[in-house]
Amino acid sequence: MFNPENLIRKGLPKGYFKDMFVRGLLGGITYLMVLIAVLLFGKIIIDGAPAIFTSKFPFVDIEFLTAKNETLHVFDDAKGARHQLPASKYNEYITAHAGQQIYNEQTFSYSGGGIAGPIVGTALLTCGSIILALFFGVCAAIYLAEYAKQSPFIHAVRLAILNLAGIPSIVFGLFGFSVFVLAAPVITATPVDRSLLVIPFFIEGWALSFQGWNSSLMAGCATLACMILPVVITASEESLRAVPQGFRDASLAMGGTRWQTIRKCVLPYSLPGILTSSLLAITRVAGETAPIMFTAAVAAKDDFPWEGLANPFDILSSQVQALPYHIYTLAARIPSSEYTQRAQFGSVLVFLILVAVLSFGSMLLRAKMRKKLKW
Amino acid sequence: MSTAIQIQNLSFAYGSKPALHDVSLDMPARKVTAFIGPSGCGKSTLIRCINRINDRISTAHVTAGTIKVHGIDIYREDINIQELRRRVGMVFQKYNPFAKSIYENVAYGLRIGGMTNRSDLDDAVEKALRNAALWDEVGDRLHTSAFGLSGGQQQRLCIARAIATEPEILLMDEPCAALDPLATLRIEELISELKKKFTIVIVTHNMAQAARCSDQTAFMYLGKLVEVGPTMKIFENPSDPQTEAYITGSFG
Amino acid sequence: MVSPNPQSESSGHRFQRRGFSFERAIRFFFASNAGLTIFILLLIIVFLLREGLGFFPGYRRELEVYRIAGLEFVDISRKNLSAHEQVTSLLNRAYQAEINGKCCNELRRSQEASALYSTFSDQVGPTRDLILNNPAATTGGDAGMLAVLRTNYEAQRAKALTNLPPAPHLSVAERQELIDSLRNRPAEATEEPPIVAKLNAEFAAARQSHAEPLQKFRETIDNFESAGMDLGSIVMEMTESVTATKEALQTADILEKDRKTLLAAAANAKDPIEREKLIADAKAALAEKPDVEGPMATLMEKKPDCVKVHEQLVTSVGEIFPNLPGSLTQANASRYLKAATAAWPVLISDLKATPAKISSWTHTEPVPLSAAFISFLTGRSWVTGGEWQDFYGIIPLAVGSLMIAIVALTIAIPVGIGAAIYVNQFAAPREQALVKPVIEFIQAIPSVVLGFLGIMVFGTILREISTFDSLSWVPGFPIDERLNIFTAGCLLALMSVPTIFSLAEDALNNVPSAYAEASEALGASRLQTAFRVMVPAAFSGILAAVLLGLGRVIGETMVVLLVAGNRIKIPDFSEGIGAFFQPSHTLTGIIAQELGEVPLGSVHYRALFVIGITLFVVVLGINATAHHFLTRKKK
Repeated sequence: MFNPENLIRKGLPKGYFKDMFVRGLLGGITYLMVLIAVLLFGKIIIDGAPAIFTSKFPFVDIEFLTAKNETLHVFDDAKGARHQLPASKYNEYITAHAGQQIYNEQTFSYSGGGIAGPIVGTALLTCGSIILALFFGVCAAIYLAEYAKQSPFIHAVRLAILNLAGIPSIVFGLFGFSVFVLAAPVITATPVDRSLLVIPFFIEGWALSFQGWNSSLMAGCATLACMILPVVITASEESLRAVPQGFRDASLAMGGTRWQTIRKCVLPYSLPGILTSSLLAITRVAGETAPIMFTAAVAAKDDFPWEGLANPFDILSSQVQALPYHIYTLAARIPSSEYTQRAQFGSVLVFLILVAVLSFGSMLLRAKMRKKLKW
Repeated sequence: MSTAIQIQNLSFAYGSKPALHDVSLDMPARKVTAFIGPSGCGKSTLIRCINRINDRISTAHVTAGTIKVHGIDIYREDINIQELRRRVGMVFQKYNPFAKSIYENVAYGLRIGGMTNRSDLDDAVEKALRNAALWDEVGDRLHTSAFGLSGGQQQRLCIARAIATEPEILLMDEPCAALDPLATLRIEELISELKKKFTIVIVTHNMAQAARCSDQTAFMYLGKLVEVGPTMKIFENPSDPQTEAYITGSFG
Repeated sequence: MVSPNPQSESSGHRFQRRGFSFERAIRFFFASNAGLTIFILLLIIVFLLREGLGFFPGYRRELEVYRIAGLEFVDISRKNLSAHEQVTSLLNRAYQAEINGKCCNELRRSQEASALYSTFSDQVGPTRDLILNNPAATTGGDAGMLAVLRTNYEAQRAKALTNLPPAPHLSVAERQELIDSLRNRPAEATEEPPIVAKLNAEFAAARQSHAEPLQKFRETIDNFESAGMDLGSIVMEMTESVTATKEALQTADILEKDRKTLLAAAANAKDPIEREKLIADAKAALAEKPDVEGPMATLMEKKPDCVKVHEQLVTSVGEIFPNLPGSLTQANASRYLKAATAAWPVLISDLKATPAKISSWTHTEPVPLSAAFISFLTGRSWVTGGEWQDFYGIIPLAVGSLMIAIVALTIAIPVGIGAAIYVNQFAAPREQALVKPVIEFIQAIPSVVLGFLGIMVFGTILREISTFDSLSWVPGFPIDERLNIFTAGCLLALMSVPTIFSLAEDALNNVPSAYAEASEALGASRLQTAFRVMVPAAFSGILAAVLLGLGRVIGETMVVLLVAGNRIKIPDFSEGIGAFFQPSHTLTGIIAQELGEVPLGSVHYRALFVIGITLFVVVLGINATAHHFLTRKKK
């Protein structure tokens, strides 16, 4: 028989402790993860901050960010004072103090000077690959969103996008190496023996030779572009589909062609979404190491990519330093000591700040977009 | 107790938007009370206050008055919400069986109430399915997925699930809205059977349904209770002109 | 009435499209961009296969040379030699572990004192060296300079003495004594402080005393070791001669390839003089076929000796082994002893089976292409560097990848799914707004940064934690190498948690809220609703999340390259779970590490591409399965 008094809770509800325990456990796990992330990155910030922040205006060690990367020389002079100098200043010191003995000399590769070279290289690689990926990707997305009907071709394209998105980055490195570095087409008068295929032109001596672009900015950009192409296509297609069908219908009903409709009624409204998602792609591209290890990156480079070139287009065929590859070199190839810490943690901190800015920037933009786009 | 539910001067709001104004009425036990009114008049809000399922919405709150179920104020501090919801069952507009087997759907309420004995569960499930007029159709395939049933059968499954714990009160929020006429008829037959055991409160858009099934009808408009009384009186001789206008189809 | 068709018939109605229009061209342009994705995918597959499939014929030839030069024959005996060495090493480890375990306290004290002294020396060393080397010290030259140096030294010494590591096993008085002796001694002193010497001597004495009861054990080990000497010397003899044969064969192969290239160039040459020259060069490159049968016959003559050596070894091992102690007192020593005792019957049976293998071995048995496949897929060693023989077996790499994945997922699955359930079902909106961006940020962190953290920070912390006495019961503690499977697995867990979290949370979000509503209307608590209704309903999405996390873990390169230790060897499972604290290599890491160093077109180069193909197929398979679960869910 129903007793209404049972509706009143006496003491704690049944299962209260179990409830609290499970909630606490799950919450604890969640916050533990947050805590670990904070700790690990706190360590980087603490150890990297001395390298890039100074106490005087402008509070940032400009030299670290704009000087080229050099070997660090550590030595004691006759008075026992310890000097740490990058290679260029070291040479100056030696010539200035010619004849004086120096003691306990050690050299640390990559640990002196600044990281301007890697920063510039990463910027070039990112720009190049994003331009390529955006161009081809948005066009492909336009086809998928605006023109396509269900067909075997579309099915194959979607399958290809899905598969490309899942390929590990080192396999892209292999791909970029074997295709762009070793087998991409070049117009040259002197084809290499190992060339895959040589198609002679009718002009004297010149031929189209599939001999690759060698390790170069071009090859790196192409590889990275292939890698983020699926991401760009998917995000762009989503932005295009978000534009209400009514816009298209209105344009078509007035006699506009498909292309006119896309150009005037769809693309302008989807561009913000496309650009937002390209920020995410930039974050990804800037952080990848494996694809550029064998296609574009080099650990030590004396000049900036635009220095010392025969003609301006040679910048595309020169190798570049890159920030993630620089960090890899610093972590793996040199011993860790108090002298290398500045370079190591400083580089990582700069890199992290870059990634954080881009990533939070894209989050903010996305939130703003969502609020703005009320059709 | 002959009055199952007493609503006393209830005012309810979602955030700053009021939804119910000073509603008062009594619903007698083992009778069917129907709520009618145009869209947005607050009848679903009211019925969802009775089992406090509105608590799921963070901005929803009572601004005045209260509801008493079998004499107990359900908005008091120390109310046992889970026990309340076991005693006050609910059937929703769009049938929503869980992604489990028919048996597990019906047994769900019993299991979370702590029943574990397999034979007890079997008996209770069979009883609920019989009461919901579904046993004959599914008794041989209890462990197949609930999604294999037709729409009308799924709604009856939801009814079986709601009555498995033998609640005193059954709330039905437009139970036939998603069903075809044949299935609707079966549910209405079911209601007249169920009211022998349960107090039923039904919200409906379909006035004819209210006229067919209920003992007492309440007409609501813009969050206020306009008129309540025996069904025959409301439909044949309404006191309030607004009620008459609605019944005759002038608006809504 | 104006005719609706004012133009001439040939151009058709005004509404008709005229031929190939601009619109069609535009559409074709966009379509071809879409088709670019298919083209790229095909390009990847084609080039991977092109470079990779060439591996198998090349490897087959290497295995053939391995056989006909006689290296395979030598390896029969060499394998037993290595097994013997391994058992010896296990026994030695057991012996040392037993002694060190018994005088563990003296060991720690001595180690800590020495560590204190060497830390101190490192910090003041350079200045001290300057003082010692300063001409003023000996001949009374620049005294001013010397004074400055001495002041520096004192400052450094004071600083160093405050910077010393902890020494939990030394008493406060002892530590103070060491510090005082360092403070009070002159700068030029280079000998050990007396207390360090004293503790070292204590340790040595303790070792001596504990070694005495184990004297018989020591003798047994020494006997065992010397029993293998005959085998060692005969293997060394054979090694020299077969290596020479192999080199001759390899040179001949290279010359043959050159000859073919020259002939092909000659066929393409347009200039007849050039063609003549190329053909002449080709003839010159035609080397004599190296003599294989001769050295092989000499080698075969050694067969009876080999057999005899093995039989002798069987007898001696059989005599020696019963002299081993039954058990030891220290836990890890027991483990080594048990491993050695377990290995002994295997060793004996291998040794007994060897004479038959030796007698029946012949170099004329052909090596089919399938042998290359089998050796690649089931080979337990990946050895390159060409000193003896290159083996390309994928098992050590696959095992490494798998073990790291196991560690990573064991951590990431509970954390990711637990956090997803918490954030989706229980957390307040403010908490969600805090946790979600943090997790998204973790996902954006490039893997090379995590690898950096692992190698600089995490590995060291982990190894230090493992030295605590209180944790010595954990198998594998204290850790030898700070870069190992477990470290890599932890970092990969950090990387894959966001993936699993977002997909699982999405899956939970996609469960219709009607389910939660119905469940609560039936009187369920939040907990019951979450675990009995929501999670089962989202199950296939959660499974897809886990699979995608697995795909990410297996495909990750930079973290494992930096942190996994890069040792290409199947971990030693005699340690039990401790095997997870050993270094290893992975499928992804090996490509990244070796591609920069291999000659283009060599067998090694192509082997890396085959690994690339394997990775491609495996990760694609995982992702396809995950996708299947994701789409199946959408009823």
